[in-house]
Amino acid sequence: MKKFLTLSIAAAMLAAVPALAAEKTLSVGYSDALSGGGAVYGVPQKKAIDLAIEQINNAGGIKVGADNYKIKTIEYDDKADSTEATNVARKLIDRDGVQFILGYCCSASGGAMASFIGKEDAIVLVGTAGARSITSLGNKNVFRTRPPGDYTGAAAGRFIAEQGVKTLGILSVRDVALFTQYRDALIKAFEGAGGKVVALETFGGHDRDMTAQLTKLRGLNPDALFISGYVEQVAFSHRQAAELGIKVKRFGFSGGSPEQFLKVATNEQMEGVWDLLAVEFNADILGPKAKAFVDAYKKKYGENPTPNTAYAYDQVYVLRDALQAAGTVTDLKKIQDTLRNLPVPKEALLKYLPIDGKMFDGKGQAYISNGAFQWTNGNWKFVAELPSDAVAYSNFLKTVRD
Amino acid sequence: MIIDFIQQIFNGLVVGSIYTLIALGLTTIFGILGIAHFAHGSVAMFGGYLAFFLISTLGIGLLPSFILAMACGALLGVVLERVAYYPVRNAPPINSFIIALGLTLIIEKTNLLAFGVDQVIIPTPFNRVFSVGGVTMPELRVYVLLTAAVLVVGMTLLIQRTWIGMAVRAVAQNRSTAALMGINVNSVSMFVFALSSALGVAAGVLIGALFAVAPGVSEGLVVKGFAVLILGGLGSIPGAIVGGMVLGVTEAFAAAFISSGYKDVISFLLMIAVLLVRPEGLMRGKTR
Repeated sequence: MKKFLTLSIAAAMLAAVPALAAEKTLSVGYSDALSGGGAVYGVPQKKAIDLAIEQINNAGGIKVGADNYKIKTIEYDDKADSTEATNVARKLIDRDGVQFILGYCCSASGGAMASFIGKEDAIVLVGTAGARSITSLGNKNVFRTRPPGDYTGAAAGRFIAEQGVKTLGILSVRDVALFTQYRDALIKAFEGAGGKVVALETFGGHDRDMTAQLTKLRGLNPDALFISGYVEQVAFSHRQAAELGIKVKRFGFSGGSPEQFLKVATNEQMEGVWDLLAVEFNADILGPKAKAFVDAYKKKYGENPTPNTAYAYDQVYVLRDALQAAGTVTDLKKIQDTLRNLPVPKEALLKYLPIDGKMFDGKGQAYISNGAFQWTNGNWKFVAELPSDAVAYSNFLKTVRD
Repeated sequence: MIIDFIQQIFNGLVVGSIYTLIALGLTTIFGILGIAHFAHGSVAMFGGYLAFFLISTLGIGLLPSFILAMACGALLGVVLERVAYYPVRNAPPINSFIIALGLTLIIEKTNLLAFGVDQVIIPTPFNRVFSVGGVTMPELRVYVLLTAAVLVVGMTLLIQRTWIGMAVRAVAQNRSTAALMGINVNSVSMFVFALSSALGVAAGVLIGALFAVAPGVSEGLVVKGFAVLILGGLGSIPGAIVGGMVLGVTEAFAAAFISSGYKDVISFLLMIAVLLVRPEGLMRGKTR
């Protein structure tokens, strides 16, 4: 009996050991477009981050040494604006004292942050923002899941030429780095494959009437149109192109969900349109993990996740794995080195193309494959993978700083 | 080529008609009270959001919602005049200028709080496209143009043919003399704000149906509205009508025949040219 009691007490003490691990809170900053034109990417991205944090916290949090950290976010709306994003980053670092920042859906905000963050004591895990400079600048403390626009643009240019298109009319947003870099790479690859761009028309950040540009393109009678920009503007362009009776093939780059397009354009106006982009979140081609994410997202928010949500979702698990592997939440140098050698987290939704077995290359850039999606019966249907060489692009990225 | 030319005129007139509606409100308020009512764009956006709410949430029909939103806009105009501008009517102009800026922020942020950050598009059943000799005219754009035309004609008749319109014109010409003639200047101010805000709301609803109502839209709208005022002549109603159409068509032509990259630049160059060559505006008599 005495032996039984002793064993019972010992067992009870052992069981109590995990409770001795201190429960701590890790404050993580969050900067994103929660209003304005970029909110169509920023708000879903925030929802995905909140979902990943909830999942990690419910699973016990982040175990760092003897401590257990539950994640808490301090969030601000940067409106996808460079000045606002600079102010938000300063507030997060100087006033709130955070060392880790998530978010950044858009090039203007992400680019502004990247221009000065290299000198700060903070690690930034960028989601959807696509401007090349965010990683090409070579900051040791910036890591991004979304590949830069020109990585995808070159593959898209070759694909359009392969579709038998000889002449192409382009309508694109004027001043967003992701889209201009994508567009320039597309033009170079398309013309390299023997195609001719008949006109390059642009629109501004708040424009929703593109009929003047589309009427001009209609008059030039190209084999196809290419339309790129934020989803709302691209959706209006497709609607107005259909209204103007433009019948040629329409390619594009925006990464909007069917729901986002159908708010603006009808199914008939979208039928047959192509979206050429990095293979972002798509439950049909990413397998059961992705389907579980869709279910969890729909349960929490009552809507489908947009294609860009996975970039930021994966970054939360990157942060968890890096902190657990580094065994510290304060030694930023050690965490940075860990991130640089980190394998892809097992919960990651996207199919990354590791460079030398690591998720991020030397400039903190991750890669996924590119794909061609076509609007078919109210949805984006995956049609083909676009040949993309992540290693070659990573080597190119080493040579540029803009 | 000629088809594209006519198509661009049609494209420009549709957008120009919305600029006209915004500018009519701005020019009337400026003509009567000398106030640069910057919050007018936010009032228009409020109207767009309100119509969307009435249609989507309360299930009210498109036309009744349009009329109801205009009525609410008129009421909002009266409230703005009484609460914000009336108390500073005799103060230096800088006071009403600052109040106008403050109102813009207040209404913009109230819109954000009440209606959220997402863009909203007012649902309409008008999806047909008419084609006349190769010129395509989406049904919705035709109705936007017609609605704007009806409102502009209605406003012109009201100002030119009615007693209250005569009172408005009298106050615009000379406020003190009009008061001496027995016109209740305060009532005229309220009437002008009600009428202008109702027209602004109408513009907001048309924008919401044709494009979208969203944060940030109002700023561009009010800038274009003031550009029209300068083109047409400050305080001139015919000037606002002609100026709106000229600006809309110029923008379309600039995009089509020069460069879409300079679309906004060219319309502002036009404005500067008018300021240099004919500072009183296209439709006003020469000032001495």
